[in-house]
Amino acid sequence: MRQLIRPALTGLLAAAGGIATAELVASLTRPEASPLVAIGGTVIDATPTPVKEYAVSTFGTYDKPLLIGTILLVLAALAAAAGVLAVRHRTAALVLVGLLGLGGAAAALTRPGGRPLDALPALLAGAVSAALLAWLAPKAAPAPISPAPPPPSPGAQAGQPGSDRAGTGRRGFLVAAGLVALGTALAGGVAALVRRRGAQAADQARGQITLPAPADPAPPALTTPGFYTPNQDFYRVDIALTVPRIDPRDWTLKITGRVDRPVELTFDDLIKRPLTERDITLNCVSNEVGGPYVGTARWLGVPLAPLLRAAGVQAGADQLVARAADGITIGTPVATVLDGRDAMLALAMNGQPLPLEHGFPIRMLTPGLYGYVGAAKWITELELTTFATYDAYWTQRGWAAQAPVKTASRIDRPKAFARLAPGPVTVAGVAWAQRRGISAVEVQVDGDPWRQATLLPTASTDTWVQWTWDWAATKGSHTLRVRATDGTGQVQPEQRADPFPDGATGWHTLVMTVG
Amino acid sequence: MYGKRKLTTVFAVAAFSLSLGLAACGSENATTPTAQPTGVPTAVPTTVPTGTATPGAAGVFGPGCGTLPTDPANPGSLEMMAQQPVATAAAANPQLATLTAAVQQAGLADTLNSAEAVTVFAPVNEAFAKIPKEQLDQVLANPEQLKKILTYHVVGQKVAADKIAGTHQTLEGQDITVTGSGQDFKVNDTATIICGNIPTRNGVVYLVDGVLMPPS
Repeated sequence: MRQLIRPALTGLLAAAGGIATAELVASLTRPEASPLVAIGGTVIDATPTPVKEYAVSTFGTYDKPLLIGTILLVLAALAAAAGVLAVRHRTAALVLVGLLGLGGAAAALTRPGGRPLDALPALLAGAVSAALLAWLAPKAAPAPISPAPPPPSPGAQAGQPGSDRAGTGRRGFLVAAGLVALGTALAGGVAALVRRRGAQAADQARGQITLPAPADPAPPALTTPGFYTPNQDFYRVDIALTVPRIDPRDWTLKITGRVDRPVELTFDDLIKRPLTERDITLNCVSNEVGGPYVGTARWLGVPLAPLLRAAGVQAGADQLVARAADGITIGTPVATVLDGRDAMLALAMNGQPLPLEHGFPIRMLTPGLYGYVGAAKWITELELTTFATYDAYWTQRGWAAQAPVKTASRIDRPKAFARLAPGPVTVAGVAWAQRRGISAVEVQVDGDPWRQATLLPTASTDTWVQWTWDWAATKGSHTLRVRATDGTGQVQPEQRADPFPDGATGWHTLVMTVG
Repeated sequence: MYGKRKLTTVFAVAAFSLSLGLAACGSENATTPTAQPTGVPTAVPTTVPTGTATPGAAGVFGPGCGTLPTDPANPGSLEMMAQQPVATAAAANPQLATLTAAVQQAGLADTLNSAEAVTVFAPVNEAFAKIPKEQLDQVLANPEQLKKILTYHVVGQKVAADKIAGTHQTLEGQDITVTGSGQDFKVNDTATIICGNIPTRNGVVYLVDGVLMPPS
């Protein structure tokens, strides 16, 4: 057993040196090309959704360090195994290391948005690891029985030449191992520094952005409390392993696919265009009836339709696929983007440059569609294609390819299970049906007739509407229900539907006690 | 020698970890569409290889836990229940079919789902089966009485296993008393907790083998 320790350490060191080299190269070129990040992403994609959710619920915010830690442990075990294997079967060990490098390269290449050069860091990791292993392994091996041992050096204790040889062998190994460890630490350290500087660059660049005045401003902001959702309270939905930190100076947006004139735009190109300011309510398809995954913000962005028209959308291209730095793909009907609604590439949210977790530097917004079919964050490419030939990320997972927002309403006050004093009680909430708007909200107490709620001023048909209703609460337990009517006169469906596959329906119903 | 070897190991491990500038993940009040037919609040979809994903069940106790579906893809499994608001989570558990029907009958599902934090003592199907059918039908047909009985099973905050013994005010208004220790608890001396401390998004569920009746 003991004689396995040195070979195992050799394998570990060789792998560490290779990985550190790869991380250094990746951090200097493209952080997404890091083999560890690529493997992490691949593992996440290959993991069944429930297991992911279980991991999140069980390990909370430690889920990702745990994932990376596990990948490292597996790699370490494989590396140690390669080191041990190298004692007897050096070629096999080198092949194993090379295969690991190829595996990393494959992971990097197959990541969404992967580029051919992304394979380089992983290939380099394999090559460097193999070279280090080839160099270290002979030093780690037990002293060979030499037919002609060199004479003992002057001054050396005579009598036990065997142990002396083991001594020099050990010293040689330790020196070599120390060198490799030092080089690894240096490369890893520099990689970490470069990466941190990159992250700081994104923060810094974000801090330095001066938002231009909109060419097409929104009406004065509403003053009703709760109409706008503060950025830090705005719900967040994404598949990002780490929040992408993009330096807008290194960022471009490509418009590709079935267009006559493909174009690549910089952040400066976009921020210099005439900007539109709009209040838009955004919601998540997985929000259950009465759920919290909906919010309203004042957005500033570049209208998307003129950009697409300038690129020349070809006949037949009915799907706009947004690709983003976190690997998501989001498919939006081209028709909705071009039908006159305020589909935009947003660069600011509630007067701030987009927060990093909300898609800095640019996210897409399509009023009237659930986020998973219209609101990619950290967007890097817009490809014109067809629904017939491409399924976006969530469509691949069974969610509907097309998902306009369903009319919904929610009681926010009083709270569920509230205990109230008899007398006047203000019941309040929100209702939304983006694009169609809300024409009426009604509240029902127990079996009483439905009562009209008062609609508060709203910004447009693309935002939610706040409503209130004065209730003369009487003693006892009461059930309150709410339903909205959209701008076309359609009453929100009572029929209960789950969020899957295209959004929940049903009247939000709350029980409260008076007295 | 040992010291040197340890040093080498430290170097190797450090080198493995150094280059990972991987930040912590996102805020907790975020959600993700999933391949399951219900909303799921995951900060960021992410993962841990299956083999290591066992400690989640750590807080759950009781002989009845073994009857929960073990396939994490099953909506009634611990894994899925943890992601759902409490009534949706309960509805996915076949053992709670009668309770779920009663909750819907009483119009309490949204209220339970919208509550900020609750603890639910959830009678399993066999618990309802102990009530004579005539009496049960009578209760189910009377929404007011049903609401009273059901809210007597709900405490308006999350009560973890280590705090479960004691007296708790229910949302019905009257108290329930949990006695016992370890993994052995009784509610109001009549119902036994058969699986406790099941997490859901906004509440904790304790499966009980009897329906609790409000004293007055």
